[in-house]
Amino acid sequence: MNLAPVAVEAIGVEARGLEHLYAGRRGLAALSFALQAPGVVAITGSNGSGKSTLLRLLAGLLRPTAGLSLVTLAGREVPPAERRTVLGFASPELAFYEELSCLENLTFAAEARGLRDRMAPALAALERVGLGARARDRVAALSSGMTQRLRLAFALLLRPPLLLLDEPGSHLDEEGRLLVERVVDEEARTGLVVIATNESREWRLAAQRIELRGRGLGRTA
Amino acid sequence: MPPNGSNSAAAVWAVLRKECRSEWRTRYGLNAALLFAVSTLTSVSFAVGRLPDRSDLLAALLWVVLLFAALASLAHAFVREVEGHTLTLLRLVASPTAIALGKLLFNLLFLAVLEAVTVPLFLVLMGGPPVHWGPFLLILGLGSLALAATTTLVGAVVSQTRGRGALFAAVSLPLLMVVLAASVSGLRAQWDGNPVATEARLLAAYAAVVLGASVLLYDHLWED
Repeated sequence: MNLAPVAVEAIGVEARGLEHLYAGRRGLAALSFALQAPGVVAITGSNGSGKSTLLRLLAGLLRPTAGLSLVTLAGREVPPAERRTVLGFASPELAFYEELSCLENLTFAAEARGLRDRMAPALAALERVGLGARARDRVAALSSGMTQRLRLAFALLLRPPLLLLDEPGSHLDEEGRLLVERVVDEEARTGLVVIATNESREWRLAAQRIELRGRGLGRTA
Repeated sequence: MPPNGSNSAAAVWAVLRKECRSEWRTRYGLNAALLFAVSTLTSVSFAVGRLPDRSDLLAALLWVVLLFAALASLAHAFVREVEGHTLTLLRLVASPTAIALGKLLFNLLFLAVLEAVTVPLFLVLMGGPPVHWGPFLLILGLGSLALAATTTLVGAVVSQTRGRGALFAAVSLPLLMVVLAASVSGLRAQWDGNPVATEARLLAAYAAVVLGASVLLYDHLWED
């Protein structure tokens, strides 16, 4: 399989006083950092400390209550509304259309992103996560581990320079966890991989670690 | 930038194709809508027979049947994404405007299919004065556009609220009254042989305003 990256421009991620509240409840305490590709960065912290919230903020899926997050590609800022074009995102909350097959879900994503040849990258992504044989199975028929592999395939679909992975090893067997390690290693050679996890095996893949020291369990600060 | 930049037209088309494929696989809305339309028309036909000289009743009855048959599906266009937890996936592949426009086109297609079955059945069962097809189709088309635009917009706005069912009814009621009043008046006018230009202009202007507001609003939706 050709693993040459689609984009070679350096991608950077920065948070400046980034903070988020959910209806007055603290989702993420104010945080600042700057990251630059290539490499792997782990986000760790107790339950409710804001790991998933941080990834959603970086992905542009949430608007920060205070502060700002920046994603830059080749020195130019990518606005939050356009960030989906430069990142791959996988998290436990990411669900697929159960009435469609794995392949149909990914070809839909590729088509919506404007790819003319949507079949080849979808098949390649499914092969890469070991779901090639189940490509035409409906998502409703997948186990939780296979659904997690499909999430990884979705994140890898367009070979984005920035990967945001929230608990990438959840529900995976030993072979699946090795797959995650292999994918992270390959993608981090040229891109930036940010992993939110409390699994020591996953955060040890990272050269840098950001530990969130929020109050946890969503308590109001 | 990598070559995966979002292409708005492609995204709209992709969302439309996905909606069609999902509906075809699940028959979530169409079967229920057709069941409602056919059973209602059959019941009314048994009860009151044909109404050859009641253009007022015919116009109101046709729009009531179309509205209630379609409303459940139109209102759930976004709720299905929220309840199926697929909204995150959608937002990661397309802009809110592209998502909403794709769903609007699907809702229009849904109404067209519903009308293709319901209107001929209605005309056969209920009778009525001769149809002036030009004005009839104009009012039907513009009324459907206004109905789809309104329900898509309201559905998108209320989809992530807790009381979305009640909120959808409360918000859409005053908005749909305008559409229904003009559509019923237009259909009645064509059956009576009167011009429908006023109703057509009103429906076209209303649809344009709602679509314009939608395009301005959609990109600000769903930013928690």
